[in-house]
Amino acid sequence: MKRIGVFVCWCGTNIGGVVDVPQVAKAASSFPGVVLATDYKYMCSEPGQELIVQAIREHRLTRVVVAACTPRLHENTFRKTLERAGLNPYLLEIANIREQCAWAHQKQPGRATEKAISLVRRAVAKASRLEPLFASTIPVTRKALVIGGGIAGMQAALDIADAGHQVILVEREPTIGGKMAMLDKTFPTLDCSACICTPKMVAVAQHPSITLYTYAEVEKVEGYVGNFEVTIRQKARSVDHTKCTGCGTCWEKCPTRVPSEFEQGLGTRKAIYVSFPQAVPNKPVIDRRHCRYFAAGKCRVCEKVCPTGAIDYQQGDQLIKEKVGAIVMATGYDLFEWEKVYGEYGYGRYPNVITSLQFERLINASGPTGGKILRPSDGKEPQSVVFVKCVGSRDPAKGKEYCSRICCMYTAKHAHQVLEKLPGARVYVFYMDVRTAGKAYEEFYLRTLQDGAHYIRGRVSKIYPEGDRLIVRGVDTLLGRQVEVGADLVVLATAVVPSRGAAELARLVGISCDQNDFYTEAHPKLRPVEANTAGIFLAGACQGPKDIPDTVAQASAAAAKVCALFSREEMAAEPTVAQVNQFLCYGCLECQKVCPYRAIEPVTVSENAAGKKIERTVASVNSGLCQGCGACTVACKPGAINLKGFSNEQVLAEVDALCL
Amino acid sequence: MSQVQGGIGIINLSAGDPSLVNEIKELGGEELLECIQCAKCAAACPMVLAGFPFFNKRVIQAILLGLRDALLDDSSIWACQSCNRCTEVCPREVNPFEIIQAMRRVAIREFALPTLAIEGLKSLYDTGHAVYLAGAGNTRAKVGLPEKPPSTLSYPEALKEVRTILENTELAELGVIPMGESGVTDSCEV
Amino acid sequence: MKVGFFIGCNTSFNRPDLEQAVRHAFPALGIELDDLEGQSCCPTWGTLPSVDVVGWCAVSARNHTIAEQKGLDIVTVCGSCYGSLSEAKYKMEVDPELKAKVNEVLQTIGREYKGTSNVRLTYYYLYHEIGPEKIRASLKYTLGGLKVALQPGCHTLWPSKVYYDKEEDPFHPRVLKEMVEALGATVGHYTRLIDCCGMGAMRSTDMEKSLNLFRRKILSIKEEVDPDLIITGCSSCLIQFDTAQEMLRREKKINFEIPVLHFMQALAICLGADPEKVAGLARTNVKSVIGKILPS
Repeated sequence: MKRIGVFVCWCGTNIGGVVDVPQVAKAASSFPGVVLATDYKYMCSEPGQELIVQAIREHRLTRVVVAACTPRLHENTFRKTLERAGLNPYLLEIANIREQCAWAHQKQPGRATEKAISLVRRAVAKASRLEPLFASTIPVTRKALVIGGGIAGMQAALDIADAGHQVILVEREPTIGGKMAMLDKTFPTLDCSACICTPKMVAVAQHPSITLYTYAEVEKVEGYVGNFEVTIRQKARSVDHTKCTGCGTCWEKCPTRVPSEFEQGLGTRKAIYVSFPQAVPNKPVIDRRHCRYFAAGKCRVCEKVCPTGAIDYQQGDQLIKEKVGAIVMATGYDLFEWEKVYGEYGYGRYPNVITSLQFERLINASGPTGGKILRPSDGKEPQSVVFVKCVGSRDPAKGKEYCSRICCMYTAKHAHQVLEKLPGARVYVFYMDVRTAGKAYEEFYLRTLQDGAHYIRGRVSKIYPEGDRLIVRGVDTLLGRQVEVGADLVVLATAVVPSRGAAELARLVGISCDQNDFYTEAHPKLRPVEANTAGIFLAGACQGPKDIPDTVAQASAAAAKVCALFSREEMAAEPTVAQVNQFLCYGCLECQKVCPYRAIEPVTVSENAAGKKIERTVASVNSGLCQGCGACTVACKPGAINLKGFSNEQVLAEVDALCL
Repeated sequence: MSQVQGGIGIINLSAGDPSLVNEIKELGGEELLECIQCAKCAAACPMVLAGFPFFNKRVIQAILLGLRDALLDDSSIWACQSCNRCTEVCPREVNPFEIIQAMRRVAIREFALPTLAIEGLKSLYDTGHAVYLAGAGNTRAKVGLPEKPPSTLSYPEALKEVRTILENTELAELGVIPMGESGVTDSCEV
Repeated sequence: MKVGFFIGCNTSFNRPDLEQAVRHAFPALGIELDDLEGQSCCPTWGTLPSVDVVGWCAVSARNHTIAEQKGLDIVTVCGSCYGSLSEAKYKMEVDPELKAKVNEVLQTIGREYKGTSNVRLTYYYLYHEIGPEKIRASLKYTLGGLKVALQPGCHTLWPSKVYYDKEEDPFHPRVLKEMVEALGATVGHYTRLIDCCGMGAMRSTDMEKSLNLFRRKILSIKEEVDPDLIITGCSSCLIQFDTAQEMLRREKKINFEIPVLHFMQALAICLGADPEKVAGLARTNVKSVIGKILPS
């Protein structure tokens, strides 16, 4: 007979203020197998845990039920408590009577108490069927993959590499640097973005422990924490970078001009190009979609002028396989495609309505205008510049519900830059709120007000052309009046969205996204840089809109997590994984289809049947990959799969205890 | 183009006058640009309580936008009680009352001032008192006081001093009131 | 003890009985008043302060110099004068450039502003220099048995940074309350105590709005205190309370009248002054309440 102890927590007034805790303990003492039921103010505190340890010893408890908060918060805490008392840590069952009871039923304390008793009855029923589980160990490959070469990826790669580990950095664009390399100045210090970004790019390229793949994409990720196998597609550059010296003759002579991605369409590049002069690597690729030779079979100018014979039209994509122990996602952001939905702002038809990122290029000394603010339609210097905030942000009808976090600050910066560069120009900022939560941010915004920027609190309802100007119609809620302003240039602070392809990459890597396709962290407060798949970490705006300081901080945090994982050659694996009873399995592999972690593979087993040796296919779980979600156990028709710690028998006993 | 388009009441910000901000700063509203429109001043202002459309915070916003006409067309700035609750509560030491005063100074330079203000100034020049009642002598006598207080009224050389001051400050240059003539006029109650 | 008496236009011409009250009370408490001969308008807010800072401060500074030459502080009974004189002094103190400009102007009349005289309001001056206890001891009559509502007045409180005498918390003033209690009255509290009465520029600009504001206040007083007497700390408030009740009654917006006195009038009466001289110009019926103060 199992000897079960039940420990009911007050959690101060969190539970105790609603649920009659002593009554729950009293009721629990009569449940089958319970030899002790007691309560305490804060069970997770040191004296609370000590109470459990003493009770286990005194009453020779063999199973423990803790009725308290969610197991997500303190299951591990109490497992360690059991371990200290000499019990197997998996002989613990938690009854969540806080989030799922006291908090949810604050207005019905009587019924909440009844529910708490039911939840404890359930936990006791399960506890009596718990079996000891033992963690296994898995080896760790101490090499990391970083996906994305913006400031987040570069920082994470450098931190991990500086700690002495090998890093593979994969960037899909021809250069690393990401969005930060496109920016002119950074708020709130106004130091030049390139001056602090390009040295990092060089450091990445020169680091002996970093292998850099640009113009490359992650194609496949297999394996599990500590033991990933990654396939990287190196896209054909059509240039042999071992021969190329980056002399620039090819792109000088190339006859094809196309809009430059780096210049956000405000400037052009050639079909053979480096994205910008400080690109890393500073060697070109051929954009085959636009190259005359690839399109029409004629030209080959670059090949003719190349002094080292580096042009290689035959070059194909290459697949590279790498074994890594951890992955850092650092795929960054893109801007919301406002042109598709904002008809009231002209659907992108007015050349003088631009995005903030385009403005960054306009004002950048290395940009298409050499740093002069000129309106795109006719190259005239604008006398009136209107900034519109929250275009696609805080607008669930047309865009996103969330705040993009960086726009208030960069718009303040842009306003300041216009007033600095164009004396006498008028600057209007239409806003709903000014959000400046960051060190020295509010002060920066106030300085912009001092510069003379007109902040008008209200959303813009319409932008329409009148002559060669644009009329911006809004409301000044501070005056309580509708207002109109003539603008030579309108800059839209468009929402930050996950970079193109982020959701597909998440599926490929095996992590989850939120409703906006930002990568989901394992816990919003306590595990903010871990994905919910072990061994995969998040850095920067791929997890949510972030400015540079926060991005760099998160990248370093992710790197620290990777280094912690790499600090040992082996790591303990969770024992709560699925297990196939191969006698019952008939190899339908429905389980494989539903497994989100690709942890189930078919294997062939040989067995004797009626004197004959036969071979048949059954499912097998890779316990390194399995995250214990239990989806397979539901899909398994013969009931051959059990999740350890959540076996069918245990779960059914819980259901019976609740419903019978 | 005018700042307020007739009838429909849309304010045309492009017609805003950017020089207004500096004018206000020069006329005593030095801290104008410190304002972040938090509205604490308005929360303390009797004009808001009394229902005036333009009060401290809105006056400041209108100045920041250069809406000179809208401000001059409205008499609200002249209704300010000078109570200084706004100055007391302002978290950014904008001194909203000083800005209202500065806006009055702007208005006076455009001759957009109420008759009463002109009369007050005139009376100040003529008698040394902005508030002056011609029949006050009787009232004073009734309570046992000399007909004239020991002020500029009783001391012609003192009145001359006050006039000299007024003739040597901006009031003289503005030409709002006639100067140089003498003689006590009728009552004036500002 | 001697102090310069800055009378102010409104007091001189509108309510000279209030001037008489000061002229009686101060000497009765042993303080000699100096007439500051040749004083002018402070100047008040709607005039020079609305024209330019230098002109305003120059006229103000001239008034200051009269007291400075005699080595006296200035005491005034008018809220507006108190505000304008104090603020001009403050401005010249924090802005030496302004002070220099003002002195340039004053040079034309042979004066120089130094900033050595302080500006005080009558009852604050008495509170700090004589004290409620000594005042209580000097009284011939008291306000014993009278329920009083107070009206401290905006200009007596804000902006606190410019004033020589400060309340601990200008939004919860207590000096006037202590002073009225020293006269023996019971002071009732009402929620709109520190609301503006509507006098001044608002009344000149929009009488209706001014009266509405006043009505909120007087109704609060009537409903929450229902006093025998209202005592004000400011001469402008005195005028508003004294005249606006009648206007509202004529418009049938209130149906009562509460007698109103300035603190200095109540004090003078308690010190034995002739009520006809120190409160004879009141429009509200103060006679009955004065009857309760004086022995029959």
